[in-house]
Amino acid sequence: MDRFDEFDDILRERARREPIPIPEDYAGRVFRTCAALEDAPGKRRHFSRWAEVAAAVLALFIAVPNASPAAAAALAEVPVLGAIVELVTFRSWTYDDGHGSADVTVPELGGSAAAREVSDQVRAYTDQLIGQFQRDCETLGEGYESLDVTSAVVTDSDTWFTLRVDATETRASGYQFSRFYHIDKATGQVVTLSGLFREDADYVTVLSGEVLRQMEERMAADASVSYFPEEFTAIDPQQNFYFNKNGELVLVFDEYTIAPGSMGMPEFIIPAEVYGELLK
Amino acid sequence: MMQAKLDQDTFSTLVIQNQETLFHTAKAILRSDEDAEDAVQEAICTAFERRESLRETDKFRPWLLRILVNKCYDTCRRRRPTVDLEDVAEYLPAKSQDQTERLTLWQAVMALSGDLRAAVTLFYYDGLSIREISGALGISEAAVKTRLSRGRAKLRRLLEDK
Repeated sequence: MDRFDEFDDILRERARREPIPIPEDYAGRVFRTCAALEDAPGKRRHFSRWAEVAAAVLALFIAVPNASPAAAAALAEVPVLGAIVELVTFRSWTYDDGHGSADVTVPELGGSAAAREVSDQVRAYTDQLIGQFQRDCETLGEGYESLDVTSAVVTDSDTWFTLRVDATETRASGYQFSRFYHIDKATGQVVTLSGLFREDADYVTVLSGEVLRQMEERMAADASVSYFPEEFTAIDPQQNFYFNKNGELVLVFDEYTIAPGSMGMPEFIIPAEVYGELLK
Repeated sequence: MMQAKLDQDTFSTLVIQNQETLFHTAKAILRSDEDAEDAVQEAICTAFERRESLRETDKFRPWLLRILVNKCYDTCRRRRPTVDLEDVAEYLPAKSQDQTERLTLWQAVMALSGDLRAAVTLFYYDGLSIREISGALGISEAAVKTRLSRGRAKLRRLLEDK
């Protein structure tokens, strides 16, 4: 072995032992860049499929830790939302053909059966939205339509977890609607509104009455406020809800369902004394 | 091997497999982490748009590196002719540094002139062949050998115990 070959080996060995420092967020940035790649605008392309996207994400999670210590460190920082609800990854689905555009990003949860159940429900819900969007696109012609779906963790305490999934469909005008998913961490169960109350409790009538009362109260107090009290008959037995920072029950209505679009998505805080006796 | 245009998943997988080499190359040319990350991001997007020009999948790495290197050179051309001391501080000996303290290999590599750094980095850190480096940097194989020879000689002076 000549002198240069020997020095080459030393350099290669040192390069192996002394890797080049890589910024912690670099692997994440590469992934996000890849995930956002799409064909040039105006070029009609096929819809992506959730499964393909999910597979790509899975592949990343397997491949990256082996490829980069920095990437492994970055992945270790994926936030853990609680003892039984973990954010596994985000699933993204995008589409743009110049007339129809969609951007759907929702989390995939794990860590418990309840978290996976919520994840499955979110997946089924977004699949349904995407399916409808695809059908609409087929008949869109020269019109325009968009679908945007985002999400947020509303509550993550020791005892409760709530994920909110917000959607906006836009054609001539926008339509906002949301779904809330809850986990009672104490029981490990997925909870809907009916699950809060005793089986024999007529919570629908009680809560509907309170909503109607607040509608009329607000309209009497402010002339610019408008609802459809005459069209409102009752809440849905599984009406969207969440608990606010004060622990109060808040009922949420999709845009246009009980009020004109200018009112957005109405919310009503229900005092605990209204429903307290009906709780399980 | 001839093949059809890469789909997004395959393209992304190949990018991720080569992400460290991409960063090494950009950092070697640009020195700055931020500029290197920007250049890699731009190169990925450009490569995806032009992926029809890649005729053989097994040439993906030098093909992508060539695009990246051109992005880096574009960045260099846009830069003002001076350099912030802060950008190169980590490669300068600290005033209080014990002069007998050994340089890391990367500090030594970054002390090389610009035309040598990328070739040396790709050869020693990422294990590219002379031919691959030639393709990535857009220079002849003879020029790669010359750069490696000069880089090796300078590294020896910087790294070997006096």
